[in-house]
Amino acid sequence: MEQSRIRNFSIIAHIDHGKSTLADRILEATEAIDEREMRSQVLDSMDLERERGITIKAQAVRVLYTARDGQTYQLNLIDTPGHVDFSYEVSRSLAACEGALLVVDASQGIQAQTLANTYLAVESDLEIVPVLNKIDLPAADPDLHARAVAELIGDDPERVLRISAKTGLGIEEVLEAIVERVPPPAGDPAAPPRALIFDSVYDQYRGVVAFVRVVDGAFRRGDRMVAMQTGRSVTAEEIGVMTPAMTPTGSLAAGESGYIITGLKDIGDLRVGDTLTLAASPAPEPLPGYREVKPMVFCGLFPVDSDDYPELRDALEKLSLNDASLQWEPETSQALGFGFRCGFLGLLHMDIVRERLEREYGLELLATTPNVEYRVTTKTGQVVTVRSPVELPNPSAIERVEEPYVRCTVLVPQDGVGAVMGLCQERRGTFVTMEPIEQRQQIVYDLPLAEIVLDFYDQLKSRTSGYASLDYELVGYRESPLVKLDILLAGDPVDALSLIVHRDHAYQRGKVLVERLRETIPRQLFEVPIQAAIGGKVIARETVKARRKDVLAKCYGGDITRKRKLLERQKEGKKRMKQVGRVEVPQEAFLAVLEIGDAAGVRR
Amino acid sequence: MSVRHLYVHLPFCVSRCGYCAFVVAVGALDRRDAYLEALLAELELERSRLGPLETVYLGGGTPTLMRARRIVALLERLRPLLADGAEITVEANPETVDPDLLRALYRAGVTRMSFGAQSFRPRLLSALDRVATPDQIRRAVLYARGLGFASVSVDMLLAIPGQTVEDLAADLEEVVALEPDHVSWYELELKPGSALAARGDLALDADFAEEAYARVVEGLEAAGYRWYEIANFAWPGHECRHSLAYWTARDYLGLGVGAVSTIDGVRRRNAAGLARYIEALGRGEAPPRTYEPLDEDTRRRERWMLGTRLDRPLDLAWAGPPDRPEAIDRLAELGLVTAGAGTVALTRRGRFLQSSVLNELMEAW
Repeated sequence: MEQSRIRNFSIIAHIDHGKSTLADRILEATEAIDEREMRSQVLDSMDLERERGITIKAQAVRVLYTARDGQTYQLNLIDTPGHVDFSYEVSRSLAACEGALLVVDASQGIQAQTLANTYLAVESDLEIVPVLNKIDLPAADPDLHARAVAELIGDDPERVLRISAKTGLGIEEVLEAIVERVPPPAGDPAAPPRALIFDSVYDQYRGVVAFVRVVDGAFRRGDRMVAMQTGRSVTAEEIGVMTPAMTPTGSLAAGESGYIITGLKDIGDLRVGDTLTLAASPAPEPLPGYREVKPMVFCGLFPVDSDDYPELRDALEKLSLNDASLQWEPETSQALGFGFRCGFLGLLHMDIVRERLEREYGLELLATTPNVEYRVTTKTGQVVTVRSPVELPNPSAIERVEEPYVRCTVLVPQDGVGAVMGLCQERRGTFVTMEPIEQRQQIVYDLPLAEIVLDFYDQLKSRTSGYASLDYELVGYRESPLVKLDILLAGDPVDALSLIVHRDHAYQRGKVLVERLRETIPRQLFEVPIQAAIGGKVIARETVKARRKDVLAKCYGGDITRKRKLLERQKEGKKRMKQVGRVEVPQEAFLAVLEIGDAAGVRR
Repeated sequence: MSVRHLYVHLPFCVSRCGYCAFVVAVGALDRRDAYLEALLAELELERSRLGPLETVYLGGGTPTLMRARRIVALLERLRPLLADGAEITVEANPETVDPDLLRALYRAGVTRMSFGAQSFRPRLLSALDRVATPDQIRRAVLYARGLGFASVSVDMLLAIPGQTVEDLAADLEEVVALEPDHVSWYELELKPGSALAARGDLALDADFAEEAYARVVEGLEAAGYRWYEIANFAWPGHECRHSLAYWTARDYLGLGVGAVSTIDGVRRRNAAGLARYIEALGRGEAPPRTYEPLDEDTRRRERWMLGTRLDRPLDLAWAGPPDRPEAIDRLAELGLVTAGAGTVALTRRGRFLQSSVLNELMEAW
C-alpha cells in the first residue's frame, strides 16, 4: 500500500482506562477479526496479562479501514504496556509510530503514568489524538477533563474525542481522527532498507520472531539481512503482518509494521532497538535505538524442593528467550541452598516472572526480599556492585555506599498533598518541585529506589484514598549511610533474610521484621528466638514459643484412615516449609517485609 | 486368621448434635426392626470370618434408642460366638436410659456401659445440642454402677465453644466425684460435615487450649486414673479391651450402616444410607462398600500411629522401623521420646505432641 495511506499509532492509557477495550472495538469496527471468534481483549495474549488486565509485551496489529473519504487505509496499532515497570517498552513502541491515542477515563482524568508516557510521545514528535473514554459513566465529567487534556498537549478542547469503548460510541470518530490527524510515515521507499526491531519473541517451532517497523526501503521473504548493532546476518524465512493472527505477506514496505521470522535460536542475536538492513545493500547509518534496559530490582529465587534446581534453571533459560530484561545468575544461600539471583525491571515484573515460573513450569519457589543494586567503594578504592545483602563487604572495609535514586512524580488532588509529602519525607525523600496540573498537584520528589520497592505504592494509595498516581525514573546514585541488618533464627544467621537498610531506620525495620516473623513462623517442637542484629549487636528480639500440644482426639476403628489423612495433611504443610537450620520456615516469611502484590500496585 | 473383635453400629438418633459427623439416622425410628433384621443378615454373611469374640462394642448413633428388646435379641444371637470373659460394651446417651433398660442389658450379659456425658455444664451441653441434663448423667452413671456392670465409662469433651477454665475445673470435679471406672476425654474436633464446623465459631483461647488438656491429665491422675491412651483414662484393670484391639492394630469386623472393618490388610467401609443398607441385606446381598487395601508400609505406619497412643513403650519388633530412624535421637534430645532396648516410648510431653512426633519419624502416610 502506498505510504500516504498508512497510519502507525499506539494507545497511551492508564491501567483500567480502557485501552484494551478500545483496541478490541477498533479491531471489530474494521472487521479484522470474526466477532464470534473474538475473545475479549485479543491483544493481551498471555493468560497472566489477561488475568491482571495489563499488557506486558508490545505487539502490532494491522487492520484495513475504509474512511469517509472513500479511501482504504492501513492502520497499524502498536500496543503499549500500561505499567510504570514497563515504561521502556512504551518508548520502544512509540518509536515505531507517528501518532498516539491518548485515552483518559472521563471520570478519573489524567494519571501520573499517562502523563509520563504522554511526555515521551510528545518528545518523539508524535501526533497526539486525545480521547475521553467511559463518557457513559455517571461520574464522568467530560468538559472538565477535555479542557485539562487539551491544555496538557496544547490542543483545542473541541478536538478531544468523547467515546465509550464499552458501548462502541464514537469509535468511528476515533478511526477518522487517526486517518486525518496522524501523519503518514515519512521514510524513503527507495533508500537502502532499514527496519527498527521494536520487539522480539522466541517461538519454539519458528525461532526468533522480530516485530519491526520498516522505515526505508522494503524487505522480502528470502532476503539476507544484517542486524546493524550485533553484526549478525540472518535470512528472512517469512514476512508478514498480524491481523491479529500471523498472516504472511511476503514483504514489508517503508512505513509498514509486521513480523519477520528468522529461525534464529538466540533472542540476543536480534536485540530490541537494533536496526535491520539488507546484506546486499546495507544502509550507512542505523536508526536511533533505545536506551538500554537495566534491571532495577533484585531478589533470590530458590526452589522449595532443592531437587528442582535444574528445572528452575531450565525455566529461567526459557523465560529469558522472550524477556531480554530478565537477568539471572546462580546464587548459593546457606539457608536456602542453590538458587538464582534475578534482576527485574520492577516489582510487577518480578511478581509476573515468579508467577510464570510457578504456573507454567510447576515450580514451587521461595523469593527473598527484593533489593536494589548498591555501589560500594572500599577503603582500598575498589568499587564493588552489590546486588544482594550477603555481598556487602565488612563494615570496616567500606569507605562509602551509594544507592540508586529515582525522581518520583506523584499526581494527587489538593487535599492529598500533605499525605504524599509526609510519606515522601518518611521515605528519605528530597523535595524537588510542586505545580498544579488540571485540578491536582504534581509533586516531584527524589527518593531512594529502595524505598519505592517496599510498600511505597501501597502506602501512597491508602493514604490518598486511592487518588494519587505515581511515575518514576532513575536519576543516579547517591551516598547513603547504609548498614546490613541480619536476622537470626534460633541463634543462626539466615542469609536469605538479611537486608540493607538506612542506619536511621535499622532499629524500626528490625523491630517490625522480627514481629512479622514471629507471626509468620509457626510454633515448632522447641522455642525459636528471632533476633535482628547489626554487626553482631542484637537490636530486636521476639520468641516463637514451643508448641505444646497437638489436637488430642479419639482414634477408634472408624477413625484410623481419617487420622492417617490428617497426618498426611500436616505433613504436606511441613513440606511447603523450608528447613532453615533446625527451623521450619514458611515461604511467606521470606516476604515478611513487604506485600509484593500491593507494592506492585496491580492486585486488588 | 479369625476376627476376635466386633463393632456393631446402631445409627438411630432423635436429633443430630452440632459436633457430630458420624453416620446417624435421624427420624427413622420406624426402621429399627428392619435394621435389626439387616444387621443379623450381615452377621450371617460375615460369620465365617469370626473366631471366639473377645470384645463386642455396640456404638452409635444412640444404641439405647433400639430399646432393650432389640439389643437383647442382638446379644442373644451373638452369644454362641463369644469367648469366655468377653467384654461387651454398650454406648448410651444418659437421657435415654432408665433402670429397666439397664437391668435388661445387665442380664443380657453387657459388661461395660459407656455414657456420653461430654460436660456437666448446662450452657456447654446446649452449645453441643446435647439433650441430657447434668442430673440425668449423674443418675445414669450411679445406677449402672449400682447394678454391677464390670466397668462404667463416661465420655467428656474439651475445647467446647465457650468453655472456660472454670468450666473445665467444674467438669473435672464432677467426673472425679462420680468415680467412673474409665474416662474418655477428647478434644473436640471440627469434622467436615458437622454443624459446628459449618458455624465456624470455635475460637478457643489458644493458651487455654494448650493448658487445658494438661489439667485434665493432672486432675484424673490425682484421682487414681491411669492415662493409658492419649485420650483415655482408667482405673487399673478397667482399660477398654475393645479399644485396645484398635490401638494394637488387631483385625476387627464392623457391622451396620457406615461401619468400618479391617481384616487381613483390607479396610472396608459400609456405605452410609440406611435404606440402601436394609435393601441390600433384604436381598441377601452385602451392603454397598468401599475397600481400601493397606500395603505393608501403610500398616507399619499405622502400627506406629496407633501404638504410640498407649502409655506402654512401642515394641519395634512388632511395629517395624520408622521411616527416619535418625530422627529418634533428635526427638530424644527435645525430650519427646525415650529409646529403650528395642522399644521407643513417648515421654509425657511427647504424648501431647504425638502427631508432630509421628511426622518427624515418617516420610508419608
